[in-house]
Amino acid sequence: MPREIITLQVGQCGNQIGMEFWKQLCLEHGISRDGILEDFATQGGDRKDVFFYQADDQHYIPRALLIDLEPRVINGIQNSEYRNLYNHENIFVSDHGGGAGNNWASGYHQGKGVEEDIMDMIDREADGSDSLEGFVLCHSIAGGTGSGMGSYLLETLNDRYSKKLVQTYSVFPNQMETSDVVVQPYNSLLTLKRLTLNADCVVVLDNTALNRIAVERLHLANPTFAQTNSLVSTVMSASTTTLRYPGYMNNDLVGLLASLIPTPRCHFLMTGYTPLTVERQANVIRKTTVLDVMRRLLQTKNIMVSSYARTKEASQAKYISILNIIQGEVDPTQVHESLQRIRERKLVNFIEWGPASIQVALSRKSPYVQTAHRVSGLMLASHTSIRHLFSKCLSQYEKLRKKQAFLDNYRKFPMFADNDLSEFDESRDIIESLVDEYKACESPDYIKWGMEDPDNLLTGEGNATGTVDPKL
Amino acid sequence: METTTSCPSTPRWNMERPYLTGRFHLETKATSRLAETKPFSSARLERAIGCYNVAVQELIVVDDLLSVMVGIEGRYISIKRVCGKDEVITFWVDASMDLALQELAKRLFPLCESFLLTDQFVESRSQFKNGLVNHAFAAAIRALLLDYQAMVAQLEHQFRLGRLSIHGLWFYCQPMMGSMLALSSVIQKASANNFTGSAVLNLLQSQAKTMAGDNAVRSLLEKMTQSASNAYLGILERWVYEGVIDDPYGEFFIAENKLLQKESLTQDYDAKYWGQRYSLKDGIPSFLANIAGAILTTGKYLNVMRECGHNVQVPVSDNSKLMTFGSNHHYLECIKAAYEFASGELLNLIKEKYDLIGKLRSIKHYLLLDQGDFLVHFMDIARDELSKKIDEISVEKLQSLLDLALRSTAAAADPCHEDLTCFVDNSSLLKKLGSLKDLEIRTVSDVGDIEEPVSITGLETFSLSYKVQWPLSIVISRKALTKYQLIFRFLFHCKHVDRQLCGAWQVHQGVRALNAHGTAISRSSLLCRSMLKFINSLLHYLTFEVLEPNWHVMHNRLQTAKSLDEVIQHHDFFLNKCLRECLLLLPELLKKVERLKSLCVQYAVATQWFISSSLDIPKLDESSVAKKWTSRSLSKVQKVMTRDAAVTESILKFEREFNAELQSLGPILSNSSQTEPHLTLLGQWILGIGNDH
Repeated sequence: MPREIITLQVGQCGNQIGMEFWKQLCLEHGISRDGILEDFATQGGDRKDVFFYQADDQHYIPRALLIDLEPRVINGIQNSEYRNLYNHENIFVSDHGGGAGNNWASGYHQGKGVEEDIMDMIDREADGSDSLEGFVLCHSIAGGTGSGMGSYLLETLNDRYSKKLVQTYSVFPNQMETSDVVVQPYNSLLTLKRLTLNADCVVVLDNTALNRIAVERLHLANPTFAQTNSLVSTVMSASTTTLRYPGYMNNDLVGLLASLIPTPRCHFLMTGYTPLTVERQANVIRKTTVLDVMRRLLQTKNIMVSSYARTKEASQAKYISILNIIQGEVDPTQVHESLQRIRERKLVNFIEWGPASIQVALSRKSPYVQTAHRVSGLMLASHTSIRHLFSKCLSQYEKLRKKQAFLDNYRKFPMFADNDLSEFDESRDIIESLVDEYKACESPDYIKWGMEDPDNLLTGEGNATGTVDPKL
Repeated sequence: METTTSCPSTPRWNMERPYLTGRFHLETKATSRLAETKPFSSARLERAIGCYNVAVQELIVVDDLLSVMVGIEGRYISIKRVCGKDEVITFWVDASMDLALQELAKRLFPLCESFLLTDQFVESRSQFKNGLVNHAFAAAIRALLLDYQAMVAQLEHQFRLGRLSIHGLWFYCQPMMGSMLALSSVIQKASANNFTGSAVLNLLQSQAKTMAGDNAVRSLLEKMTQSASNAYLGILERWVYEGVIDDPYGEFFIAENKLLQKESLTQDYDAKYWGQRYSLKDGIPSFLANIAGAILTTGKYLNVMRECGHNVQVPVSDNSKLMTFGSNHHYLECIKAAYEFASGELLNLIKEKYDLIGKLRSIKHYLLLDQGDFLVHFMDIARDELSKKIDEISVEKLQSLLDLALRSTAAAADPCHEDLTCFVDNSSLLKKLGSLKDLEIRTVSDVGDIEEPVSITGLETFSLSYKVQWPLSIVISRKALTKYQLIFRFLFHCKHVDRQLCGAWQVHQGVRALNAHGTAISRSSLLCRSMLKFINSLLHYLTFEVLEPNWHVMHNRLQTAKSLDEVIQHHDFFLNKCLRECLLLLPELLKKVERLKSLCVQYAVATQWFISSSLDIPKLDESSVAKKWTSRSLSKVQKVMTRDAAVTESILKFEREFNAELQSLGPILSNSSQTEPHLTLLGQWILGIGNDH
C-alpha cells in the first residue's frame, strides 16, 4: 500500500494523544474498537491504508508503535475498549517500568539502551509497507520519556531512514503556570534542538493555548487532560484528512509539507481549528460558511499556540504560509469568494520577501461521523510569531541555568558526564539561531539575510541593502 | 436528396389496356397528332352542323358536350392537344355552329379541360414512382372524379329524357365548375414542377389558404390536403412514435445516413454520428416546419433507446393519432407529447441505467485528478518507464502499473476504475493543441513554429484514456475525451514538476543539520520555495478556480437538464470553458508556463545533484562518526558548499531566469485579462497581483 505513515507515540503524553488520534481515525473510517470494519462503512473513497494495515482476517491494525518507559498509560490502553486494536508486538514498555523521572537525559540514555528493540519494531513495520512515506512522532517536550527518548528516536530515525519524512506532533508545556516538572526548561531546550535538526516538520501544540482555548472558547472551568487531548486529536486527524480522503492536491505528506515549510529549519507549524467542540458538550451550533471558517481560523484566539510577545513585536509577526483544510460540503465558488474577501480586508499579514497566499484544500468529511456543523476548517500555518515560544523557552532555560539548578540529575548520564554541559550550550545556540531566522523572516530583506558575509549575521531588520554578490 | 428507392414498375397488363383506366386520354395525343392535318374530322360527317336548325343543333351540341366532358371527342367538337405540352388542350367547334350555341359550348370547355387534365394527372401520379403522397392525392381526386362522372351520367340521363337544354347543362355544371377549375390549377402547378412528397402538401395547403374566400373550394382543397397528408402522417407517426423511418419513396424530411456508425463516437475525434446520422432534408412540409427539430430529435432519441436494446414505443392512445385537421393543432400537441416522452425516457435511461453522472464523476476522479492519490502512487512506480523516450515506452507496462496503482488506492472502491487505460501520445501538448483546429485556439504570430522539444519523454505525453460504451459515448465522445485528456496532460505535467520540486525540497531538508544560513543552500531553499509556490498556485488555480467551480455548475445543470441534447450541450460547454480557463487555448501564455515548468524541473534535478554531491565528500571522510552528525562535524561540509562558487552561481542563475520569466507573465496576463477575465485570478494566484502585501 503506497505512501504509508508509521506513528510512534512516546511517553505518557504521546500515548494519550496517540490513543485519542486512533479513536478519531477509527470513528472516521468506520472501524470498530476491535479493528473490524463496521457494516455501515461501505462508502469507500477513503484511504485507510495510509495509517492502518489489514491482518489476515481483514481487521485493521494501526501502523502505530506505543512506547513508554513506565507502564501506567500503556496499561490503561491495554485495559481499555481499544485493547484489541493495536498490534501487541508494537507495544514497548521498559522492563523496569521506572520511567525517566522527568529527566531528558534519562530518557535519552534509556532510549539508547533499548535502541535495538525499538528499531526492530520500526524495521518490521517499515518492511510491512510498500513505499513508506515517513514517521509521525507524538510526544511532549517537557517530560522525560517523550522528550528524551523521543529525541533519541528522532536522531536514530533521521540516520537510519534519511530518505523518509519525520513529522512530529509536539506538545509544548504550559509555561504560564508553575509546572510540577521543575527541569522542564532543560528538557524543552534539549528536545527543541532535535526537533530543529532531526524533524522535517513539527506541529506545535501548545498546552498553554490549548488550556486557554478550553477555558475561553469551550467554557470549561478546569479542562481535563482528556479534554485538551481531544482537541489535539481533532487537529491531528484533520491535518491528515487530505491523505486519507484524497482530493486534487496534498495527497502525500511531502506535498503537504513542502508547500508549507519555507526553509529547512523553519519547519514549525501552528494550527487552528474551528468550530471547536468537546465531547458531551452541548455547544451552541453556529452557522458555518467557508468565509466564517476561514476568518475564524485567522483569529489568534483559535490558534493553538500562544503568543507572548508584546504588541509591538506581535504586529511585526507575519505568516510565511497558510494551508486551510476545509472539510464538509462546500460550494467551491464560496472558497474563491472567501479568499477574495480576506484579501480585500487584508486580514492576513504575509511575509514580503516572497510569494505567499492562503492555500486551500477541500476535503471530504467522514460520512460516519455526525457533526453539528456543516463546514469545519483546520489551519496549518508557518508564522513568525512562533519564535516567541522559543524565546520563552530560552529565557526560562537561562534563568535556571544561571542558578546552575538541578544539573546534577543530568550529570549522572553519559552525555553530561564529567560536567560536560556543551550539549546545553549547543542546543541554546541552535534555538537562538532558529529564533533569529524567524525574526529575519519578518524583514522584507530576508532573502539577502546573511548572504553578504556568512560570518557576520544580521542582527536586525533592514540591514541588508545593496546587491548580492553572486560569488559570495 | 439522393433517394435510391427502387419502386416497382406498373404491371404490363395495366399498360396494355389503356381503356381499363383513363390512360387512353394520354394516348389520344398520338391520334390527335395525326389528325392535325385534318383538324376537324368532318370527313366522317356527311354534313356540317350548320345544316341543322338551331333546336337540332342544340341537341347535337349537348350530346357532344356530354362526351367531351368525359374526354371523348364529339362529332362537331374535337379535342386537340398541343404537341409536347400535355397541359395545353384546346377544343375545336365546328365553325358552322350557331354562334349562340358556340358561345355557350365554349363556356363549358374549361370544365372539360380541367377534367382531362385532372384525369391525366391522376393516371400519371398513380404510378409507383411518384410516392405515397401523390398516390393518396390521386386517390382522393379519383373519388372526386367519380362524383363528376356520376354527375355527367345523370345529366346524360336527363338528356335522354329530353329534359336537358344547353342552358340546363350549364346550370347543373356550375357547382362542379369552381372545384374542378381550382383543382386543375393546383394540378397544373404540381405536374409542372413534378412535385412529390411534402411539396405537394405545401402546395395544397397554400392553395387552400389563398382560396379561403371560396368556402366550397377551400373545403375541397382542405379535404385533399387531409387525404394527401394522411400517408405522410403515417410515416411521421412511425418516426415519432417508434423511431423508424418507413419511407419507401424518399418523401420524408428526415434522412438516415447509414454510413455513420455509432462506434465512430468512441474512435473518431470528428465523429459526426450524433449530428448527422439523422438529418433534416429540404422540403419540410410547412405545417411541420416549426416543429421539425423536435420531430428529428424525438426519433433520434427513440433510436438511441432501440440501439440500447430497449424497444421503447411512445404509448399510443386514440388521442395520439396524428391528424393535421382541425385548427386546434392537435398534431402539434401529439408531437410535443411524443418528444417529451422520448426525451424523458432516454434521459432517464442514460442517467439511471447507464449512470452518466457516476461516469462523469469517475472521469473527474482520474482525468481531472479530483482523487489524485492514485497518481501519486502511479508516478512512484512508473517513474522509470515514464522518463523514457516515447518510442521506448511500453504502454502495456504502464497499463499494468496503472492497474496496480488503481487497485491499491482509494480508486479500488470505484468499479469504474477498470475502464481506465493508458495512452501515450507522440507529440507535446503544445503541438497536439496546434493540431486540433476546431478548438478556436487564439492564434499568435508564431503559432506555426511550435518547436518540438528535443527529446520528449512519457512525462510530457502520457495521458489516461477512458473506455466509454454506447450510449454514453454520445455525451462522452472521442472529442470530449480528447479535451479531458488535454487537461489531464497539463495537470499531470504540473504534478510531475511539483513532485520534482518536492524531491528538491526534501534534499534541502536533509541538510538542515548544517548551519546553512547565508550559504547557497539557504538561497536555494528559498528559490525552491518560490518554485513550489508557483506550481502549487498554478495547480490551485487550475483545480479550485477552474475545474471545481465549473464542474459544480455543470453538475447542477445536468440535474435539471430536460433532454440529452441539453446534457451534451452543458457537458461540451463545461469542457470548452475548462480548456479555455486552463490556458490550453492560449498558446502564448501556455508556452510561458511550460518554460517556467521546465525551469523548475531543471532546477530540481540540478539542485538534488549539487547538494547530494557536495554532501557525499564529507560523508566518506567521516564514515566512522557518520552515525551522529553533530553540527560541528558538519561545519566542514558547510565550507565545501560555500566554497563551491559554481554551485552558487548556477543557483543564482536559476533564480534570475525564473524570476524574470515569472515577471514577464505579468503584462501578458493583464493584457489578456480583458478578453479572458479568469486570467486575473491566475495573476492573483501565481504573481500575487492584488494581494497587496
